[in-house]
Amino acid sequence: MKYLIKEILRHRWRTIAGISGYAIAVLFILLVVSVSMTSERDSVGILKSTGTHFIVYIPSSSSCCSPTDNDASDGSLTAEGGYTMMLNSDLIYSVREIPGVKDAAPYLLYKIFDRYYNCNISLGGIDTSSIAARNNVCASTNLIEGRYLSGNTDEVVAEESFAMAHKLSVGDTLKTYGGRLVVGGIVNSGIKPGKADLYAPIEHVRTILKDSLNCISTGFDMNIIVVEVSDARIQNRVISQLKEKMSYLSVSSYNCYQPASEVMSVIEGTSSALSIVIFLFLIIFSAKTQITSLMERIREIGILKSLGWSDSRLSRQILSISLIQSLMGASLGIIIGLGIINLLNHYQIRIFNSLEFYFQPDKLPLLLYLSLAGALMASIFPIIKLHRTKAGDMINNYF
Amino acid sequence: MSNPYIECLSLSKQYSRNNQRFSAIDDISLKINRNEAFLIKGRSGAGKSTLLNLMCGLVRPTGGKVFINGICITDLPNDSLSNVLLNDIGIIFQSFNLLPTYNIYENIEIALVPKKLNREMVQGIIISYLEQFDLKDKAHLLPSELSVGQQQKVAIIRTLVKEPSVIFADEPTGSVDEISASEILEHLINLKMHKQVTLVMASHGNIPDKIADRIIEIENGRIKK
Repeated sequence: MKYLIKEILRHRWRTIAGISGYAIAVLFILLVVSVSMTSERDSVGILKSTGTHFIVYIPSSSSCCSPTDNDASDGSLTAEGGYTMMLNSDLIYSVREIPGVKDAAPYLLYKIFDRYYNCNISLGGIDTSSIAARNNVCASTNLIEGRYLSGNTDEVVAEESFAMAHKLSVGDTLKTYGGRLVVGGIVNSGIKPGKADLYAPIEHVRTILKDSLNCISTGFDMNIIVVEVSDARIQNRVISQLKEKMSYLSVSSYNCYQPASEVMSVIEGTSSALSIVIFLFLIIFSAKTQITSLMERIREIGILKSLGWSDSRLSRQILSISLIQSLMGASLGIIIGLGIINLLNHYQIRIFNSLEFYFQPDKLPLLLYLSLAGALMASIFPIIKLHRTKAGDMINNYF
Repeated sequence: MSNPYIECLSLSKQYSRNNQRFSAIDDISLKINRNEAFLIKGRSGAGKSTLLNLMCGLVRPTGGKVFINGICITDLPNDSLSNVLLNDIGIIFQSFNLLPTYNIYENIEIALVPKKLNREMVQGIIISYLEQFDLKDKAHLLPSELSVGQQQKVAIIRTLVKEPSVIFADEPTGSVDEISASEILEHLINLKMHKQVTLVMASHGNIPDKIADRIIEIENGRIKK
């Protein structure tokens, strides 16, 4: 041990060069990993929730939950233009139990042919607190005018296209669904599988169907379950499991989760490939340092061999020096790297405009292991050389 | 007749240089008895140092074998050869081969490190030899701070502390003045006389023939006489 430490200390500049090499390599890996993680977090964060929603329902060949109100003939539960059956709320719990389902919520979508307006008018009853409802049907962020579902029992929000077609403004009153509905706000919810003409809280829609339209039904829970999945990459799996478990349900989703999932795989693959390339550079760099060090010491090692120092002892010394240097270098690189990340964040220097540089502390042991693995691999060649060269050839530099 | 302590059988060594092979040692066979003082003479480049290096296992021969005390050191695996070098063989180099950044004490101590002796014992052995060679007050100095003669003495002490049964000495007096040379030779002869050490020395002529029990002369890698 004494000679190990002495060996590290006596060639101060070589040791400093070795440690610096590891420090620079680890610093470089840390910064690249940080940039890659920041990029991944930004892009994957966006892509992860792209298209991660779908709706499920049981299609029906005939109208269900028909109204007895004469003004609203041809009313029915609907989904994607077809008839659906009424579902029991308990089904939501079964859907929520499927691994990967982030949220599942009830949705009650009804459509009538209104004689007054001489057109079909759909009314969606949503659970406003549900993220699945926000992504599948309508969200407060889609509001373009007025206010979003205040809680007044006669208040609805209208889709922009419906409002434009009927020249409706905020505050206008619609005489439909067996009563009067006030347009509290106008939304543009974009392309969503549960889109309707009018939206109201689900409890209000239940009341309208029950009391205003006097619909005939055994229950008024919901006819659609809106589902949100935690990650676009597992959406296919979740849908398959759901179909396997409840084969009577029809699933409808937009396929934009598929390209998102593919892009995420590409981003993650690129990050991994980049880390592997840097790791290989670390090994090559440290191997070069170790071989240079061996070449510089070759005569001394020959002398030690001639005095009876075994190859195993000398190999252990080479390996220990390499590991100590890598550990010190990696620690230094990590400290400097984290310092640089903190400085960049402190001065709000950004490369992806939105988020600050980011590094998961649980990746630090991995960096140390990588550095030690690099040192271990870098020592292999000098150790092989040591074992294959005779002491006399080392002393006389014939090798 | 007792078995020879060292035996070389058809020993040869070839080197390649500029795509040409040349023979440094060519088919040498010899036997050296225990406690014998054996002198290898020859001009510079004759192959004395190469033969010495082959005999002590520092260089791998191109052909032939070397036996020391019945063990074929040519075929030994590295770690076993290290054991022989640690316990049986002492080598004194012409160029001393001291480690320049280690002080005198440490230069000697490194010879004992693989023996795993306790610190006090190591200190006792080193101090006693330094006193014997009048170098006790130089223990903390670096080799470059000593005279050439003193450096050679340190190299000899480094060999002696291991208490080898055979010492290979390549021009042990080649770089030192006459007084130091005679001192060094006296120490070597004392070792042979009192510790039953076998001495194998190589010299181009500055070791007097009278101190050797047997002499061979080498020319162009072959034994001349």
